Amino acid sequence: MEYSFEKHRIVGGIGADAEYWRGLEEQQFRLPQCTQCGKWIWPAHYRCGDCGSWEFTWTALEPKGTVFSWTRSFYVFDRVRERADDVPYVTVLAEIPAADGARVLGVLQGDETGLVIGAGVQGSIAPPCEKSKWYASIRWEIER
Amino acid sequence: MKGIRGATAVVGIGQTPYFKRGTSPGPALKLCLQAIVSACEDAGLDPRDVDGFVSYASETSDVQKLMPGLGTREVRFAALTWIHGGGIPGALSIAASAIITGQAEIVAVYRSMAESFGQRLRVDVAQNDTAAQYLVNGIESPTQILALRAQRLMQYHGVPRSALRAVSQASYYHARNNPRAVGRHVVLDDETYDASRMIADPHRLFDCSRENDGACAVLVVSAERARHLRTTPAYILSAPMGTPGGGGALEENWRPYYATAGQAGLARRMWAESGYGPRDVDVAQIYMNNNSVGIGAMIDHGFCTFENAGEFLTFENLIAPSGKLPINTSGGDLAEGFIHGMGLVAEAVRQIRGESTNQVPSTKLSLMTGGPGDTMSSTGLFGSEETL
Repeated sequence: MEYSFEKHRIVGGIGADAEYWRGLEEQQFRLPQCTQCGKWIWPAHYRCGDCGSWEFTWTALEPKGTVFSWTRSFYVFDRVRERADDVPYVTVLAEIPAADGARVLGVLQGDETGLVIGAGVQGSIAPPCEKSKWYASIRWEIER
Repeated sequence: MKGIRGATAVVGIGQTPYFKRGTSPGPALKLCLQAIVSACEDAGLDPRDVDGFVSYASETSDVQKLMPGLGTREVRFAALTWIHGGGIPGALSIAASAIITGQAEIVAVYRSMAESFGQRLRVDVAQNDTAAQYLVNGIESPTQILALRAQRLMQYHGVPRSALRAVSQASYYHARNNPRAVGRHVVLDDETYDASRMIADPHRLFDCSRENDGACAVLVVSAERARHLRTTPAYILSAPMGTPGGGGALEENWRPYYATAGQAGLARRMWAESGYGPRDVDVAQIYMNNNSVGIGAMIDHGFCTFENAGEFLTFENLIAPSGKLPINTSGGDLAEGFIHGMGLVAEAVRQIRGESTNQVPSTKLSLMTGGPGDTMSSTGLFGSEETL
């Protein structure tokens, strides 16, 4: 399979999360666990700082969590200019209990009523598009 | 082993004007030369004798470009502190270490920027290192990333909006007396603050730093040498750098998560090394890319807590000359101007010298905190002769 994100690669940060983006393009929400000690490592890394293992297992999870924090962007920032028409838009940092509280960013979609820290969110996977820089992305929606 | 405490001092300050972003008359390198030369004039030192050069973050005026213009006799030491605005007091610490270990005698610590010949501040400082997890989801600017933390600070930990407003109002109030301050004509009353536009919720326009072209440099020398120069030495008592365990480049995944500035460990080390505590500080320059994380820095340094932040952070408490903790007495990053926070070092030193336009009477201990919430940060305490 050819992956869209690989043709539009963003360089920055630790950069060990290719498998996450591959997962989303395959319509799966996968997060990494240390193969040896089982610790959830997020953002993905190359080595488990706890046990020293270099092996990771990417586990498919239901994208379900709670709002850890959020912001509503009212300005067209240079490097995310693709979202100009959506301003103001909300980005949610969701805490995933099934992955020991790993926190995963995603844009909020749907009704904003009830957007508070602690609110339940359900994720859906959007295919690569210009707004998400040709990466597949998770979109959070407030649970009703 | 000899420590940092009191072994070195800042003896020269040099600053260009703060130009509106994109309007400086020359590139960053020229502004940087002007700042270093003027710091030398201030201290009565020959620019050719500066033998150490330390900056931080994405500084581009590196020593090999500066030295032909300074007539440098010999470069003996040069270093850059990782990684953003968190590195400023850490840069002083590196300069002090170089002097204490005999590697250099006169070290310039500086920062220069010019969007007129470069790019927007937030792009420049990010150094193409913003993770895809942010950019894919519409997050690119520090003010957006810090907004996530500010939301926790306010909604989860209960720090009220009034605290953010008071911090901004104190900064703009101080700017009015400072002829260098870009924001000196702004009268930031409650109505103006409350009506200002949202940038990234909860950050309004007046919660954000300025963005300017300009340069600022200070000179660090040994304490012994400082006593024979014409300026009043501002001794470096402590300037630790670092990141707490469980932190790092973790895209909002720190454990525990800090809705503050991640500087509590730094502050503890600084109080331990200097022998002073938050109650002893006369005046503080608090780095504020956003005021919310600046409040986090004040909490980390022990000036207030989540619980009493609303009570402590009032306009009256934060202004010179007689507030409990006058902050940002030049106007700071919010109201004076922003050369990636470097202007705060100059102001912290001026307070020790008694030369601020909002002087706190007989300042002995002057604090300058580095970029809050940075993946690596630092904090620094300056003292007068009698604090040694």
